[in-house]
Amino acid sequence: MVRFKNRWLLVEFIQSGTQTATLDGKQIYAALKQSVIHNFGDAAWGAVAMSLTVKYFSPTTNVAIIRVARDHHSIAWGAVTLLTSIAGQRLIPNVVHLSGTIKHAQLAAIQHNRQVVARFRALANTPAMYQDSYDAFLDQSTKEIEALQD
Amino acid sequence: MFFDLNVPVSDLGLQGSVHSKKSKGKQPQQLHSVAFTLAQIKAIETRVDLLVHLGYAVIAFNQTVDKRLDPKSHVNILDSLLPQIRKRTGVIFLKRLTITLDEDSEKGFGLTNANASLVEPYDLIALTPTTATTFSLACLTHTLPSSLTAHVISLPLTLPRLPFHLKHTLVRTALKNGAVFEINYAGAIGGDGDTSQMNHVSGESGKRNWWAAAREVVRVTKGKGIIVSGGVVTDADHRAPKDVGNLISLLGLARNIAHDASASVPKSLVLRAQTRRTYRAVLSEPRLVVPNRAEEILDPAPTPQPTGDARDEGHSVNLSQVQNDSQSPPTSSENPAPHNVLNAAVSGNRKRSSDQAELDLPTSTHHSMASLGVSDGGEASQKKKKKNKNKEKAGGNS
Repeated sequence: MVRFKNRWLLVEFIQSGTQTATLDGKQIYAALKQSVIHNFGDAAWGAVAMSLTVKYFSPTTNVAIIRVARDHHSIAWGAVTLLTSIAGQRLIPNVVHLSGTIKHAQLAAIQHNRQVVARFRALANTPAMYQDSYDAFLDQSTKEIEALQD
Repeated sequence: MFFDLNVPVSDLGLQGSVHSKKSKGKQPQQLHSVAFTLAQIKAIETRVDLLVHLGYAVIAFNQTVDKRLDPKSHVNILDSLLPQIRKRTGVIFLKRLTITLDEDSEKGFGLTNANASLVEPYDLIALTPTTATTFSLACLTHTLPSSLTAHVISLPLTLPRLPFHLKHTLVRTALKNGAVFEINYAGAIGGDGDTSQMNHVSGESGKRNWWAAAREVVRVTKGKGIIVSGGVVTDADHRAPKDVGNLISLLGLARNIAHDASASVPKSLVLRAQTRRTYRAVLSEPRLVVPNRAEEILDPAPTPQPTGDARDEGHSVNLSQVQNDSQSPPTSSENPAPHNVLNAAVSGNRKRSSDQAELDLPTSTHHSMASLGVSDGGEASQKKKKKNKNKEKAGGNS
Protein backbone atom coordinates (compact mmCIF):
# COMPACT_ATOMS: atom_id res chain seq x y z
CA MET A 1 0.00 0.00 0.00
CA VAL A 2 1.40 3.33 -1.04
CA ARG A 3 0.35 6.51 0.63
CA PHE A 4 -1.23 9.33 -1.34
CA LYS A 5 1.42 11.87 -2.28
CA ASN A 6 0.97 15.57 -2.61
CA ARG A 7 2.84 18.62 -3.70
CA TRP A 8 2.61 21.82 -1.70
CA LEU A 9 3.00 25.07 -3.54
CA LEU A 10 3.88 28.20 -1.61
CA VAL A 11 2.68 31.01 -3.84
CA GLU A 12 3.28 34.70 -3.38
CA PHE A 13 0.91 37.04 -5.21
CA ILE A 14 2.67 40.23 -6.18
CA GLN A 15 0.14 42.96 -6.75
CA SER A 16 1.06 45.50 -9.33
CA GLY A 17 0.21 49.05 -8.47
CA THR A 18 -1.95 49.90 -5.52
CA GLN A 19 -3.75 47.26 -3.58
CA THR A 20 -7.47 47.94 -3.83
CA ALA A 21 -9.12 44.92 -2.23
CA THR A 22 -7.90 42.18 0.04
CA LEU A 23 -8.09 38.69 -1.32
CA ASP A 24 -9.18 35.56 0.46
CA GLY A 25 -8.66 31.86 -0.02
CA LYS A 26 -12.02 31.30 -1.70
CA GLN A 27 -11.32 33.84 -4.41
CA ILE A 28 -7.96 32.25 -5.08
CA TYR A 29 -9.52 28.80 -5.35
CA ALA A 30 -12.17 30.07 -7.74
CA ALA A 31 -9.64 31.86 -9.90
CA LEU A 32 -7.38 28.82 -9.92
CA LYS A 33 -10.25 26.58 -10.96
CA GLN A 34 -11.14 28.92 -13.80
CA SER A 35 -7.51 29.04 -14.87
CA VAL A 36 -7.18 25.24 -14.97
CA ILE A 37 -10.41 24.83 -16.93
CA HIS A 38 -9.62 27.67 -19.28
CA ASN A 39 -6.05 26.74 -20.05
CA PHE A 40 -6.02 22.98 -19.75
CA GLY A 41 -9.63 21.96 -20.15
CA ASP A 42 -12.17 19.88 -18.27
CA ALA A 43 -10.09 16.72 -18.36
CA ALA A 44 -7.20 18.44 -16.59
CA TRP A 45 -9.59 19.89 -14.02
CA GLY A 46 -10.86 16.38 -13.44
CA ALA A 47 -7.30 15.26 -12.77
CA VAL A 48 -6.58 17.86 -10.12
CA ALA A 49 -10.06 18.67 -8.75
CA MET A 50 -10.10 16.05 -6.01
CA SER A 51 -6.86 17.15 -4.42
CA LEU A 52 -6.61 20.86 -5.17
CA THR A 53 -7.13 22.99 -2.08
CA VAL A 54 -5.96 26.35 -0.84
CA LYS A 55 -4.75 25.41 2.62
CA TYR A 56 -3.71 28.77 3.88
CA PHE A 57 -3.79 32.39 2.82
CA SER A 58 -2.35 35.42 4.52
CA PRO A 59 -3.80 38.71 3.27
CA THR A 60 -1.00 40.73 4.87
CA THR A 61 1.83 39.10 2.99
CA ASN A 62 -0.30 37.72 0.12
CA VAL A 63 1.01 34.22 0.55
CA ALA A 64 -0.96 31.06 -0.11
CA ILE A 65 -0.23 27.40 0.45
CA ILE A 66 -1.86 25.24 -2.20
CA ARG A 67 -2.04 21.48 -2.11
CA VAL A 68 -2.35 19.29 -5.17
CA ALA A 69 -1.82 15.62 -5.98
CA ARG A 70 1.71 14.92 -7.06
CA ASP A 71 0.79 13.25 -10.33
CA HIS A 72 -0.62 16.36 -11.90
CA HIS A 73 1.04 19.11 -9.96
CA SER A 74 2.66 20.59 -13.04
CA ILE A 75 -0.79 21.32 -14.45
CA ALA A 76 -1.81 23.10 -11.29
CA TRP A 77 1.49 24.94 -11.23
CA GLY A 78 1.04 25.96 -14.86
CA ALA A 79 -2.45 27.19 -14.07
CA VAL A 80 -1.05 29.25 -11.20
CA THR A 81 1.53 30.73 -13.55
CA LEU A 82 -1.07 31.56 -16.16
CA LEU A 83 -3.28 33.40 -13.69
CA THR A 84 -3.35 37.05 -14.57
CA SER A 85 -5.97 38.48 -12.28
CA ILE A 86 -7.99 37.51 -9.23
CA ALA A 87 -11.30 39.29 -8.61
CA GLY A 88 -10.51 41.81 -11.29
CA GLN A 89 -7.12 42.73 -9.94
CA ARG A 90 -3.91 42.22 -11.93
CA LEU A 91 -1.24 40.30 -10.07
CA ILE A 92 1.84 38.21 -10.58
CA PRO A 93 1.80 34.75 -9.04
CA ASN A 94 5.24 33.73 -7.92
CA VAL A 95 5.83 30.19 -6.68
CA VAL A 96 8.33 30.67 -3.88
CA HIS A 97 8.64 27.08 -2.80
CA LEU A 98 7.52 23.63 -3.89
CA SER A 99 7.71 20.79 -1.44
CA GLY A 100 6.57 17.24 -0.95
CA THR A 101 5.55 17.53 2.68
CA ILE A 102 3.48 20.08 4.51
CA LYS A 103 6.26 20.47 7.06
CA HIS A 104 8.59 22.11 4.60
CA ALA A 105 5.83 24.21 3.10
CA GLN A 106 5.18 25.51 6.62
CA LEU A 107 8.84 26.25 7.25
CA ALA A 108 9.17 28.03 3.92
CA ALA A 109 6.00 30.03 4.57
CA ILE A 110 7.24 31.18 7.98
CA GLN A 111 10.59 32.14 6.52
CA HIS A 112 8.94 33.95 3.64
CA ASN A 113 6.66 35.88 6.00
CA ARG A 114 9.70 37.04 7.91
CA GLN A 115 11.38 38.16 4.72
CA VAL A 116 8.35 40.12 3.62
CA VAL A 117 8.09 41.79 7.02
CA ALA A 118 11.79 42.64 6.86
CA ARG A 119 11.19 44.23 3.47
CA PHE A 120 8.26 46.24 4.84
CA ARG A 121 10.42 47.42 7.70
CA ALA A 122 13.28 48.36 5.41
CA LEU A 123 10.88 50.43 3.32
CA ALA A 124 9.47 52.12 6.42
CA ASN A 125 13.00 52.97 7.58
CA THR A 126 12.27 52.48 11.26
CA PRO A 127 15.03 52.49 13.92
CA ALA A 128 16.57 49.23 15.07
CA MET A 129 14.56 48.34 18.17
CA TYR A 130 11.33 49.94 17.00
CA GLN A 131 8.25 48.00 18.10
CA ASP A 132 5.59 47.67 15.45
CA SER A 133 2.53 45.57 14.77
CA TYR A 134 4.50 43.17 12.60
CA ASP A 135 5.87 41.29 15.60
CA ALA A 136 2.37 40.34 16.66
CA PHE A 137 1.57 39.43 13.07
CA LEU A 138 4.62 37.20 12.79
CA ASP A 139 3.78 35.38 16.02
CA GLN A 140 0.20 34.88 15.02
CA SER A 141 0.93 33.79 11.46
CA THR A 142 3.59 31.39 12.68
CA LYS A 143 1.04 29.80 15.02
CA GLU A 144 -1.52 29.62 12.24
CA ILE A 145 0.87 28.03 9.81
CA GLU A 146 2.14 25.52 12.33
CA ALA A 147 -1.43 24.53 13.15
CA LEU A 148 -2.02 23.41 9.57
CA GLN A 149 -2.82 19.75 9.27
CA ASP A 150 -2.16 17.47 6.36
CA MET B 1 21.51 32.71 -12.23
CA PHE B 2 18.57 33.31 -14.49
CA PHE B 3 18.42 35.26 -17.72
CA ASP B 4 15.73 37.36 -19.30
CA LEU B 5 17.14 38.20 -22.67
CA ASN B 6 14.17 40.11 -24.00
CA VAL B 7 12.96 43.16 -22.13
CA PRO B 8 11.54 45.42 -24.84
CA VAL B 9 12.14 49.12 -24.42
CA SER B 10 11.44 50.34 -27.92
CA ASP B 11 7.85 51.25 -27.17
CA LEU B 12 8.74 52.93 -23.90
CA GLY B 13 11.29 55.09 -25.62
CA LEU B 14 9.05 55.72 -28.58
CA GLN B 15 8.62 59.42 -28.02
CA GLY B 16 12.30 60.07 -27.98
CA SER B 17 13.07 58.04 -31.06
CA VAL B 18 10.08 59.26 -33.05
CA HIS B 19 11.11 62.79 -32.37
CA SER B 20 14.61 62.22 -33.61
CA LYS B 21 13.38 60.25 -36.60
CA LYS B 22 11.31 63.19 -37.72
CA SER B 23 14.22 65.53 -37.51
CA LYS B 24 16.47 63.21 -39.48
CA GLY B 25 16.05 64.98 -42.80
CA LYS B 26 17.34 68.29 -41.58
CA GLN B 27 19.78 67.55 -38.83
CA PRO B 28 21.18 64.06 -38.98
CA GLN B 29 23.71 64.78 -36.23
CA GLN B 30 20.90 64.98 -33.68
CA LEU B 31 20.09 61.34 -34.21
CA HIS B 32 22.50 60.13 -31.59
CA SER B 33 20.75 61.72 -28.67
CA VAL B 34 17.54 60.13 -27.54
CA ALA B 35 16.01 61.79 -24.56
CA PHE B 36 14.22 59.55 -22.12
CA THR B 37 11.77 61.35 -19.94
CA LEU B 38 11.93 60.96 -16.20
CA ALA B 39 8.73 58.94 -16.19
CA GLN B 40 10.10 56.51 -18.74
CA ILE B 41 13.27 55.98 -16.74
CA LYS B 42 11.18 55.45 -13.63
CA ALA B 43 9.01 52.88 -15.40
CA ILE B 44 12.09 50.98 -16.51
CA GLU B 45 13.54 51.15 -13.01
CA THR B 46 10.41 49.64 -11.47
CA ARG B 47 10.46 46.94 -14.12
CA VAL B 48 14.06 46.11 -13.35
CA ASP B 49 13.24 46.02 -9.63
CA LEU B 50 10.42 43.60 -10.33
CA LEU B 51 12.63 41.38 -12.47
CA VAL B 52 15.29 41.32 -9.77
CA HIS B 53 12.66 40.46 -7.16
CA LEU B 54 11.48 37.58 -9.33
CA GLY B 55 15.03 36.27 -9.43
CA TYR B 56 16.53 37.37 -12.73
CA ALA B 57 20.20 38.31 -12.70
CA VAL B 58 20.90 39.12 -16.35
CA ILE B 59 18.55 41.42 -18.20
CA ALA B 60 18.89 42.23 -21.88
CA PHE B 61 17.07 45.32 -23.08
CA ASN B 62 15.70 44.86 -26.53
CA GLN B 63 15.38 47.33 -29.34
CA THR B 64 13.27 46.21 -32.27
CA VAL B 65 13.79 47.34 -35.83
CA ASP B 66 11.31 46.64 -38.60
CA LYS B 67 12.20 45.26 -42.00
CA ARG B 68 15.77 46.48 -42.20
CA LEU B 69 18.51 48.23 -40.33
CA ASP B 70 18.76 51.65 -41.90
CA PRO B 71 22.09 53.33 -41.20
CA LYS B 72 20.64 56.78 -41.89
CA SER B 73 17.76 56.70 -39.44
CA HIS B 74 18.85 54.10 -36.92
CA VAL B 75 19.18 55.37 -33.37
CA ASN B 76 20.76 53.26 -30.69
CA ILE B 77 18.36 54.06 -27.86
CA LEU B 78 19.94 51.57 -25.48
CA ASP B 79 23.31 53.31 -25.35
CA SER B 80 21.68 56.39 -23.95
CA LEU B 81 19.39 54.39 -21.68
CA LEU B 82 21.82 52.13 -19.85
CA PRO B 83 23.91 54.82 -18.10
CA GLN B 84 20.71 56.29 -16.68
CA ILE B 85 19.65 53.11 -14.96
CA ARG B 86 20.80 52.61 -11.40
CA LYS B 87 23.54 50.04 -10.98
CA ARG B 88 22.61 47.02 -8.90
CA THR B 89 25.03 44.55 -7.46
CA GLY B 90 24.81 41.16 -9.10
CA VAL B 91 22.61 42.34 -11.93
CA ILE B 92 23.88 42.68 -15.46
CA PHE B 93 22.29 44.70 -18.23
CA LEU B 94 22.83 43.76 -21.84
CA LYS B 95 21.83 45.39 -25.09
CA ARG B 96 20.03 43.49 -27.77
CA LEU B 97 18.93 44.37 -31.27
CA THR B 98 16.07 42.51 -32.93
CA ILE B 99 15.35 42.87 -36.61
CA THR B 100 11.94 41.77 -37.80
CA LEU B 101 12.18 40.34 -41.29
CA ASP B 102 9.40 40.20 -43.87
CA GLU B 103 9.11 40.17 -47.66
CA ASP B 104 10.74 43.54 -47.96
CA SER B 105 13.86 42.38 -46.16
CA GLU B 106 14.50 39.40 -48.39
CA LYS B 107 16.96 41.35 -50.51
CA GLY B 108 18.95 42.46 -47.52
CA PHE B 109 18.23 43.95 -44.17
CA GLY B 110 21.28 45.89 -43.24
CA LEU B 111 23.40 43.28 -41.46
CA THR B 112 26.35 44.05 -43.70
CA ASN B 113 29.92 45.06 -43.09
CA ALA B 114 29.05 48.66 -43.89
CA ASN B 115 26.84 48.75 -40.81
CA ALA B 116 29.27 46.90 -38.56
CA SER B 117 29.93 49.96 -36.44
CA LEU B 118 26.20 50.41 -35.97
CA VAL B 119 25.74 46.86 -34.76
CA GLU B 120 28.92 46.63 -32.73
CA PRO B 121 27.60 48.24 -29.49
CA TYR B 122 24.88 45.63 -29.11
CA ASP B 123 25.67 42.55 -27.07
CA LEU B 124 23.17 40.35 -28.87
CA ILE B 125 21.59 40.38 -32.29
CA ALA B 126 18.33 38.59 -32.90
CA LEU B 127 16.29 37.99 -36.03
CA THR B 128 12.54 37.48 -36.28
CA PRO B 129 11.88 35.86 -39.64
CA THR B 130 8.29 35.90 -40.86
CA THR B 131 8.76 34.35 -44.29
CA ALA B 132 10.34 31.13 -45.49
CA THR B 133 13.09 32.96 -47.38
CA THR B 134 14.11 35.10 -44.45
CA PHE B 135 13.97 32.08 -42.16
CA SER B 136 16.47 30.21 -44.30
CA LEU B 137 18.59 33.36 -44.53
CA ALA B 138 18.56 33.69 -40.76
CA CYS B 139 19.44 30.02 -40.25
CA LEU B 140 22.11 29.65 -42.91
CA THR B 141 23.81 32.97 -43.63
CA HIS B 142 23.50 34.95 -40.48
CA THR B 143 24.57 32.32 -37.98
CA LEU B 144 28.03 32.00 -39.49
CA PRO B 145 30.71 33.42 -37.22
CA SER B 146 31.49 37.01 -38.06
CA SER B 147 31.10 40.37 -36.43
CA LEU B 148 27.49 40.41 -37.58
CA THR B 149 26.34 37.01 -36.39
CA ALA B 150 22.75 36.87 -35.26
CA HIS B 151 22.74 34.36 -32.44
CA VAL B 152 19.07 34.42 -31.57
CA ILE B 153 16.29 33.33 -33.89
CA SER B 154 13.06 34.54 -32.36
CA LEU B 155 10.11 33.12 -34.24
CA PRO B 156 6.76 34.92 -34.20
CA LEU B 157 4.91 32.42 -32.03
CA THR B 158 1.57 34.19 -31.73
CA LEU B 159 0.83 34.34 -35.44
CA PRO B 160 -2.17 32.18 -36.47
CA ARG B 161 0.09 29.58 -38.01
CA LEU B 162 3.81 29.65 -38.36
CA PRO B 163 3.93 31.08 -41.88
CA PHE B 164 6.49 28.54 -43.01
CA HIS B 165 7.64 25.03 -42.36
CA LEU B 166 10.52 24.67 -39.92
CA LYS B 167 12.79 22.55 -42.06
CA HIS B 168 14.93 20.19 -40.10
CA THR B 169 18.06 20.84 -42.15
CA LEU B 170 17.82 24.59 -41.59
CA VAL B 171 17.21 24.22 -37.89
CA ARG B 172 20.05 21.76 -37.56
CA THR B 173 22.46 24.05 -39.39
CA ALA B 174 21.49 26.98 -37.23
CA LEU B 175 21.98 24.97 -34.05
CA LYS B 176 25.28 23.63 -35.32
CA ASN B 177 26.48 27.16 -35.95
CA GLY B 178 25.59 28.06 -32.38
CA ALA B 179 22.34 29.93 -32.84
CA VAL B 180 19.49 29.42 -30.42
CA PHE B 181 15.74 29.53 -30.82
CA GLU B 182 13.85 31.80 -28.53
CA ILE B 183 10.47 31.27 -26.91
CA ASN B 184 8.89 34.39 -25.51
CA TYR B 185 6.54 33.48 -22.69
CA ALA B 186 4.56 36.71 -23.07
CA GLY B 187 2.44 34.94 -25.67
CA ALA B 188 1.32 32.32 -23.16
CA ILE B 189 0.25 34.89 -20.59
CA GLY B 190 -1.76 36.56 -23.32
CA GLY B 191 -0.42 40.02 -22.79
CA ASP B 192 -0.31 42.78 -25.32
CA GLY B 193 3.11 41.71 -26.44
CA ASP B 194 5.59 43.92 -28.13
CA THR B 195 3.41 46.46 -29.85
CA SER B 196 6.26 47.63 -32.00
CA GLN B 197 6.15 44.28 -33.74
CA MET B 198 3.45 44.37 -36.33
CA ASN B 199 3.11 40.60 -36.38
CA HIS B 200 1.67 40.12 -32.96
CA VAL B 201 -1.69 38.65 -32.11
CA SER B 202 -2.81 39.19 -28.56
CA GLY B 203 -5.66 37.76 -26.56
CA GLU B 204 -7.19 34.30 -26.70
CA SER B 205 -6.25 33.28 -30.22
CA GLY B 206 -2.72 34.52 -29.60
CA LYS B 207 -2.43 32.17 -26.63
CA ARG B 208 -3.62 29.18 -28.63
CA ASN B 209 -1.22 29.99 -31.45
CA TRP B 210 1.57 30.28 -28.94
CA TRP B 211 1.02 26.79 -27.56
CA ALA B 212 0.95 25.30 -31.03
CA ALA B 213 3.97 27.16 -32.35
CA ALA B 214 6.06 26.74 -29.23
CA ARG B 215 5.42 23.00 -29.30
CA GLU B 216 6.55 22.98 -32.89
CA VAL B 217 9.76 24.78 -32.00
CA VAL B 218 10.41 22.28 -29.20
CA ARG B 219 9.73 19.43 -31.59
CA VAL B 220 12.07 20.50 -34.37
CA THR B 221 14.90 21.46 -32.05
CA LYS B 222 14.44 18.35 -29.90
CA GLY B 223 14.95 20.56 -26.88
CA LYS B 224 18.47 21.62 -27.83
CA GLY B 225 19.34 25.26 -28.13
CA ILE B 226 16.12 26.71 -26.76
CA ILE B 227 16.11 29.82 -24.64
CA VAL B 228 13.06 31.23 -22.96
CA SER B 229 12.75 34.92 -22.35
CA GLY B 230 10.10 37.46 -21.60
CA GLY B 231 9.22 39.84 -24.35
CA VAL B 232 6.76 41.28 -21.87
CA VAL B 233 5.40 44.78 -22.25
CA THR B 234 3.04 45.07 -19.28
CA ASP B 235 4.66 44.75 -15.87
CA ALA B 236 2.00 42.38 -14.58
CA ASP B 237 2.84 39.82 -17.26
CA HIS B 238 6.27 39.02 -15.87
CA ARG B 239 6.76 35.63 -14.31
CA ALA B 240 9.44 34.13 -12.12
CA PRO B 241 12.04 31.95 -13.85
CA LYS B 242 10.98 28.74 -12.13
CA ASP B 243 7.34 29.28 -13.04
CA VAL B 244 8.41 29.83 -16.62
CA GLY B 245 10.48 26.67 -16.46
CA ASN B 246 7.41 24.71 -15.42
CA LEU B 247 5.39 26.33 -18.17
CA ILE B 248 7.98 25.31 -20.73
CA SER B 249 8.05 21.77 -19.39
CA LEU B 250 4.34 21.60 -20.23
CA LEU B 251 5.37 21.95 -23.87
CA GLY B 252 6.88 18.51 -23.70
CA LEU B 253 10.39 19.39 -22.59
CA ALA B 254 12.18 17.49 -19.88
CA ARG B 255 12.48 19.34 -16.59
CA ASN B 256 16.23 19.77 -16.73
CA ILE B 257 16.14 21.14 -20.26
CA ALA B 258 13.32 23.49 -19.30
CA HIS B 259 15.48 24.76 -16.46
CA ASP B 260 18.52 25.12 -18.70
CA ALA B 261 16.47 27.15 -21.16
CA SER B 262 16.55 30.10 -18.80
CA ALA B 263 19.86 29.42 -17.10
CA SER B 264 22.78 27.72 -18.81
CA VAL B 265 21.79 27.95 -22.48
CA PRO B 266 21.45 31.75 -22.43
CA LYS B 267 24.64 31.94 -20.41
CA SER B 268 26.66 30.19 -23.06
CA LEU B 269 24.81 32.22 -25.66
CA VAL B 270 25.92 35.50 -24.13
CA LEU B 271 29.49 34.23 -24.09
CA ARG B 272 29.24 33.08 -27.66
CA ALA B 273 27.90 36.45 -28.65
CA GLN B 274 31.09 38.00 -27.34
CA THR B 275 32.98 36.22 -30.09
CA ARG B 276 31.46 38.67 -32.53
CA ARG B 277 34.20 41.01 -31.46
CA THR B 278 36.95 38.57 -32.33
CA TYR B 279 38.18 37.26 -35.65
CA ARG B 280 36.01 34.38 -36.83
CA ALA B 281 34.78 33.70 -33.34
CA VAL B 282 38.21 32.75 -32.03
CA LEU B 283 38.36 33.58 -28.36
CA SER B 284 42.10 33.68 -27.86
CA GLU B 285 45.21 33.65 -29.97
CA PRO B 286 47.47 30.84 -28.79
CA ARG B 287 51.10 31.86 -28.81
CA LEU B 288 53.94 29.40 -29.04
CA VAL B 289 56.58 30.30 -26.48
CA VAL B 290 59.81 28.43 -27.23
CA PRO B 291 62.27 28.53 -24.35
CA ASN B 292 65.24 29.67 -26.42
CA ARG B 293 66.54 31.73 -23.51
CA ALA B 294 68.38 28.67 -22.32
CA GLU B 295 70.00 28.18 -25.71
CA GLU B 296 71.12 31.76 -25.87
CA ILE B 297 72.90 31.36 -22.59
CA LEU B 298 74.33 28.06 -23.71
CA ASP B 299 76.03 29.32 -26.83
CA PRO B 300 78.53 31.76 -25.30
CA ALA B 301 79.36 29.65 -22.24
CA PRO B 302 78.46 25.99 -22.59
CA THR B 303 77.78 24.23 -19.31
CA PRO B 304 76.87 20.80 -20.63
CA GLN B 305 75.02 18.52 -18.22
CA PRO B 306 72.42 20.40 -16.18
CA THR B 307 71.19 22.85 -18.78
CA GLY B 308 70.81 20.10 -21.37
CA ASP B 309 68.30 18.47 -19.07
CA ALA B 310 66.81 21.78 -18.37
CA ARG B 311 66.28 22.47 -22.02
CA ASP B 312 64.57 19.18 -22.60
CA GLU B 313 62.39 19.64 -19.63
CA GLY B 314 61.58 23.15 -20.67
CA HIS B 315 60.55 21.97 -24.08
CA SER B 316 58.26 19.29 -22.82
CA VAL B 317 56.65 21.56 -20.30
CA ASN B 318 56.01 24.21 -22.84
CA LEU B 319 54.76 21.89 -25.48
CA SER B 320 52.21 20.42 -23.15
CA GLN B 321 51.33 23.92 -22.12
CA VAL B 322 50.77 24.91 -25.70
CA GLN B 323 48.75 21.81 -26.34
CA ASN B 324 46.56 22.49 -23.38
CA ASP B 325 46.11 26.01 -24.43
CA SER B 326 45.27 25.25 -28.00
CA GLN B 327 42.56 22.95 -26.78
CA SER B 328 40.87 25.48 -24.61
CA PRO B 329 39.86 28.08 -27.21
CA PRO B 330 36.91 26.91 -29.23
CA THR B 331 37.61 25.23 -32.50
CA SER B 332 34.03 25.65 -33.53
CA SER B 333 31.50 28.11 -32.27
CA GLU B 334 29.62 25.20 -30.76
CA ASN B 335 31.50 25.27 -27.49
CA PRO B 336 33.12 28.60 -26.99
CA ALA B 337 33.34 28.84 -23.25
CA PRO B 338 36.36 27.94 -21.23
CA HIS B 339 35.19 28.22 -17.68
CA ASN B 340 37.27 31.16 -16.59
CA VAL B 341 35.86 33.26 -19.37
CA LEU B 342 32.47 32.62 -17.91
CA ASN B 343 33.29 34.73 -14.91
CA ALA B 344 34.33 37.52 -17.20
CA ALA B 345 30.90 37.56 -18.69
CA VAL B 346 29.36 37.61 -15.27
CA SER B 347 31.32 40.67 -14.34
CA GLY B 348 30.06 42.17 -17.53
CA ASN B 349 33.49 42.79 -18.94
CA ARG B 350 33.90 41.99 -22.56
CA LYS B 351 37.52 42.85 -23.03
CA ARG B 352 38.66 40.33 -20.55
CA SER B 353 37.73 37.24 -22.50
CA SER B 354 40.59 37.59 -24.93
CA ASP B 355 43.10 38.59 -22.27
CA GLN B 356 42.13 35.87 -19.87
CA ALA B 357 43.00 32.99 -22.11
CA GLU B 358 46.45 34.40 -22.74
CA LEU B 359 47.08 34.91 -19.08
CA ASP B 360 48.28 31.46 -18.21
CA LEU B 361 50.97 31.03 -20.78
CA PRO B 362 53.73 33.49 -19.92
CA THR B 363 53.38 33.01 -16.19
CA SER B 364 53.66 29.27 -16.29
CA THR B 365 56.61 29.44 -18.65
CA HIS B 366 58.25 31.70 -16.20
CA HIS B 367 57.62 29.22 -13.44
CA SER B 368 59.20 26.36 -15.31
CA MET B 369 62.25 28.49 -16.12
CA ALA B 370 62.61 29.64 -12.57
CA SER B 371 62.34 26.15 -11.17
CA LEU B 372 65.06 25.00 -13.54
CA GLY B 373 67.38 27.58 -12.10
CA VAL B 374 68.27 29.33 -15.33
CA SER B 375 70.37 32.30 -14.33
CA ASP B 376 69.05 35.10 -16.40
CA GLY B 377 68.19 37.92 -14.07
CA GLY B 378 67.13 40.50 -16.60
CA GLU B 379 64.79 38.31 -18.53
CA ALA B 380 63.31 36.80 -15.44
CA SER B 381 62.56 40.15 -13.92
CA GLN B 382 61.07 41.30 -17.16
CA LYS B 383 58.80 38.31 -17.13
CA LYS B 384 57.97 38.91 -13.53
CA LYS B 385 56.94 42.40 -14.44
CA LYS B 386 54.75 41.04 -17.17
CA LYS B 387 53.23 38.62 -14.74
CA ASN B 388 52.47 41.37 -12.30
CA LYS B 389 51.01 43.44 -15.03
CA ASN B 390 48.78 40.59 -16.03
CA LYS B 391 47.76 40.11 -12.45
CA GLU B 392 46.88 43.73 -12.17
CA LYS B 393 44.87 43.49 -15.28
CA ALA B 394 42.98 40.53 -13.93
CA GLY B 395 42.46 42.23 -10.59
CA GLY B 396 41.22 45.38 -12.16
CA ASN B 397 38.73 43.52 -14.24
CA SER B 398 37.26 41.21 -11.69
